[in-house]
Amino acid sequence: MKFTLEWMREFVDLPTNDPDEITEVLESLGHEVEGWEPITHRFDGVVIGKVLEVGSHPNADKVRVTKVDVGDEVLDIVCGAWNFEAGAVVPVAKPGAVLQGDFEITQRTIRGVTSNGMICSESELEVGEDAAGIMVLDDDYPGAEEELGSDFSSLLPAGDVVFDVSITPNRPDCMSVYGLARELAAYYELPLAEPNLELPPTDTATKVEIVDDVACPRFVGREVRGIKVGQSPHRIRARLTAAGVRPISNVVDASNYAMIEFGHPTHAFDADRLGDTVVVRHATEGERITTLDELDRALDITDIVVADAERPVAIAGVMGGADTEVRDETANVFIEAAYWNPPSVLMTSKRFNLRSEASARFERGMDSEFCRLAADRVAQLLVETAGGVVAGVVDEYPARPPERIIELPGSEVERVLGISIDPQTTASLLGRFGFDVSGDDPLLVAVPTRRPDVIRAADLIEEVARLYGYDNIPGRLRFGDGQGLPVRQQRLRRLRSVMVGAGYHEIMSFSFIGAEDLDALLLPVDDAARTGIPVVNPLRDEEGVMRTTLIPGLLKAASANLAKRVDDVRLFDLGKVFLPGDGVLPDQPERLGFVAAGGPSQRWDAGAAGYDVYDATGLWAVIAESMEIDGAELRAVDRAPFHPGRAAEVILRDEVIGTVGELHPAVATHHGIEGRAIIGEIEVERLIGEREAWRFNAPSAYPPQVFDLAFEVDSSVAASVLLDAIDAAGSGLVEERRIFDVYEGEPIPAGRKSIAISLSVRAPDRTLSDEDVAPIRKQIVDSVVTATGGTLRGAV
Amino acid sequence: MDPTTSLSEPSETRAVLERLRSDAPVRIDAAESVAELDAVANEVTGKASPIAAGRRSLGKVAPEERRDLGRAINDVAQELDAIIAARREILESAEASAALAGDRVDVTLPGRVPRRGTTHIVNQVMDEIVDIFVSMGYTVATGPEAETDYYNFTALNFAPSHPSRFESDTLYLDYGDVPEDVLLRTHTSPMQARYMEEHEPPVYLVVPGRVFRRDQLDATHSPVFHQIEGLAVDTDITFGDLKGVLSHFAREFLGPNTKTKFIPHYFPFTEPSAEMHVYTNGRWMELLGCGMVNPAVFEYAGYDPDKVTGFAFGVGADRLAMVRHGITEIRHLLDPDQRILEQYR
Repeated sequence: MKFTLEWMREFVDLPTNDPDEITEVLESLGHEVEGWEPITHRFDGVVIGKVLEVGSHPNADKVRVTKVDVGDEVLDIVCGAWNFEAGAVVPVAKPGAVLQGDFEITQRTIRGVTSNGMICSESELEVGEDAAGIMVLDDDYPGAEEELGSDFSSLLPAGDVVFDVSITPNRPDCMSVYGLARELAAYYELPLAEPNLELPPTDTATKVEIVDDVACPRFVGREVRGIKVGQSPHRIRARLTAAGVRPISNVVDASNYAMIEFGHPTHAFDADRLGDTVVVRHATEGERITTLDELDRALDITDIVVADAERPVAIAGVMGGADTEVRDETANVFIEAAYWNPPSVLMTSKRFNLRSEASARFERGMDSEFCRLAADRVAQLLVETAGGVVAGVVDEYPARPPERIIELPGSEVERVLGISIDPQTTASLLGRFGFDVSGDDPLLVAVPTRRPDVIRAADLIEEVARLYGYDNIPGRLRFGDGQGLPVRQQRLRRLRSVMVGAGYHEIMSFSFIGAEDLDALLLPVDDAARTGIPVVNPLRDEEGVMRTTLIPGLLKAASANLAKRVDDVRLFDLGKVFLPGDGVLPDQPERLGFVAAGGPSQRWDAGAAGYDVYDATGLWAVIAESMEIDGAELRAVDRAPFHPGRAAEVILRDEVIGTVGELHPAVATHHGIEGRAIIGEIEVERLIGEREAWRFNAPSAYPPQVFDLAFEVDSSVAASVLLDAIDAAGSGLVEERRIFDVYEGEPIPAGRKSIAISLSVRAPDRTLSDEDVAPIRKQIVDSVVTATGGTLRGAV
Repeated sequence: MDPTTSLSEPSETRAVLERLRSDAPVRIDAAESVAELDAVANEVTGKASPIAAGRRSLGKVAPEERRDLGRAINDVAQELDAIIAARREILESAEASAALAGDRVDVTLPGRVPRRGTTHIVNQVMDEIVDIFVSMGYTVATGPEAETDYYNFTALNFAPSHPSRFESDTLYLDYGDVPEDVLLRTHTSPMQARYMEEHEPPVYLVVPGRVFRRDQLDATHSPVFHQIEGLAVDTDITFGDLKGVLSHFAREFLGPNTKTKFIPHYFPFTEPSAEMHVYTNGRWMELLGCGMVNPAVFEYAGYDPDKVTGFAFGVGADRLAMVRHGITEIRHLLDPDQRILEQYR
């Protein structure tokens, strides 16, 4: 909310003009100042003058020649505006004056007539938008005539400052100059000026009938007759402009001005287009209204409308109807100032997706006690600015809110704030904010109707603390009873550091993706990852579905990096995916995903190398080792978006916990990734569960027996089968088995391959002799031959 | 010369030894390499040397002379062995130095760098914040990112009319039978109610996690960001504790001289509510929102607000990372450009 300091001063006589101090005070009260700026003028040397004569120009039809008294002299000025006559008080830029920062006014000759300066319009002076004619000051600034020759800027709010204050949603009472003035008055312990708006309580012909007094506990209608719709005076428009509201017409401006001043929204109907009876009721089935924005809207029976006998004329608290809108020819207006129940307004504005300044205020809760003053203030302004006559008022108040009294025990203040404040001080602090306090302990605090946010003792304690000063409450360092970083967190951090140690960079990708991102993975139609949960209201289609896998984000990231010529990309992501489940909420398992693409460039000491499936399975081995995952196996798998022949699923205790391998070439191409790339995605819960502490194993002090074996097996036999067979044999003495060669080709027959293994056998308690090793070797050979159907090629 | 015959006389043997004793050291010291030295050594003390010949001749020497002669031979042998050893040491050392002198490379060629990745800066900051609170006796929990309206709003005392519930602000999921019941949590605060439902007081908890708003990604907004929620509930927690603990946190995170101030604010789930501002980089900056737990929140969670009090806070990790590292736009944090990630050391 924006306002000028000068406007604020109408209600509270602030002891300072220092914007920084006022900012600090407002913030200490909880009203964040977004900023303040002085109102500056970009003109110099403009004085107040009075037009003495207006005559025609001998050589031109479109301009006139004037004589203007500027105090110490009378100037001849040629003027192109026609909105004034002799006697008008006007701003005059004398020769030497500067407008708009750098435009100097000089004596000029216009078609043979010398012009000694310029009579200025608002837009020339940049004090308003009106460029149709010159500014005529006597209408707006009575008394200007006494100041001929004085600097024109003295009429404008001198040295004024515009504040922009952000009002928290719990404080609808502060959405006005008057509301913030009340806060400042409380802070400085100064009186707050009462709005003095007593207007005659004449009855009007219009009757108001309220059908639903919950939706509308009070409705005030004030009639003003004989107005002339036109432009508001400059001073009104200047304040509105400073407050960020665009001036429209004196009727609209009056309503906006009153709202910024006192907070309560009003609506003006053209009284002559409104029937004799106004009814506040629910809309009926099938009823429609064309609103001010020219949209024809279908109403719901839950909507509250203001209607006359024939049709709805406004959606209550949200927007008026076009039929009864004030037009240029409108002479009589009916000003509505009502209290609309917040939930009703909210429901309706939400359904129409129509949030107006008025609805935003009613949603938060206005003050039913203020309706009459609000209507009267608009009426008063219309009398001043539109030449109207106050004609009468109707004030239906069927549901006055009950008085709200809150008990505030002294102990409660101390229990919450940690400081002891005596009840008299508490009562006095609350009194400064306008709470009516009686009793001693507990204090009985009556809450003003303008404060819907204060409903229990805690709310009063905040009021006490605000005025007492948060900074005056001493801090105390207080420790909890926690047992250190939980294991889950420790394990998650370890998992991250494993990936970091392996050379991967962590990214944070969005949790939502586009539906086409899943298509790009070439997933089978029935793949679970295809059923992404839709976002109802995404800002962009690319964010329309919750991710079911981390792979799309990683691929996009890799692709973006390659496109920027980052040629060795290694990324990982650790985050939730969202899958349909049985509960109220989607299943949200945590996943670890990674991608590596491109590869190191050629170096002086080695050739270039890319990534292939063995980098992926090797990375898994590091993860498994570091996270103490024992007993996991890899099994070949054909599953998009992985390469059909170069990927493995990770199986832990008969459960697939992830897949690692090369990216399917077609998916790679789609993402602009050249060459082989590796990806992987693993269920994090299976990696980070608590582990028993590992047990120390004393290394054998005895020498090993090392020997090599080579087997000829069918090409389809997986190495894992062979290694498992070795592990199954060997009497537990095989310390290391390492495949050092895999060979196909002469002299091995086609369809067969040779796998050569180096074995190291060692006993914990003695040196193994050749005689000890022979049976172990035989066991191993037999086991492998049985498992693979292969043959021993003899010691290598 | 046939040594076996010519050295049969002890006097002759002694003469030969004397010659050897005077000649050999010169020859030994003349050896310029270990190989040369080996050859010389072989000649002067080896199997074909006068010393070996002398020893072989001892059997033919008269017993009364044998002992003296044997000692004389050994003396010469030992003397020469010592000279050879000394020379060997010199030559070996010189040869090793020469070999090392040749084994020289350009050490300024780029070394083989073990690849090392990086943890995302936001996670680093979250870990750091979590650690500060863990050191103050807080525990850690995390919650679901897709959350119910109840936990995200209702249980935190958001009015049904609160603007945050608008589709313009909050992302909703098409999930389940009730429209607008499942949403992407807008803060990590839902864990307040979830945790209190599952645990008896006292509670000292921080909740790091990802949160969502319906914002377009630009310099200052992101639909995805990160928060750490904190909650302390006990029989006697006061606003003073809130100030003390959060000021301590600010000093731990930003430096021991960090000034803090608390100004009133509004959150539906705390009352009184505050923002903590810190003085950093020459200006006051809002660091976090906080407040005393609203009694209504205790009631929703099943705690008796007459028996316990508490405070809660929420701090944005993204902005802290940005402030500390001079990251000017929040969208850089979501950018997977490896040239950015590599800076997250």
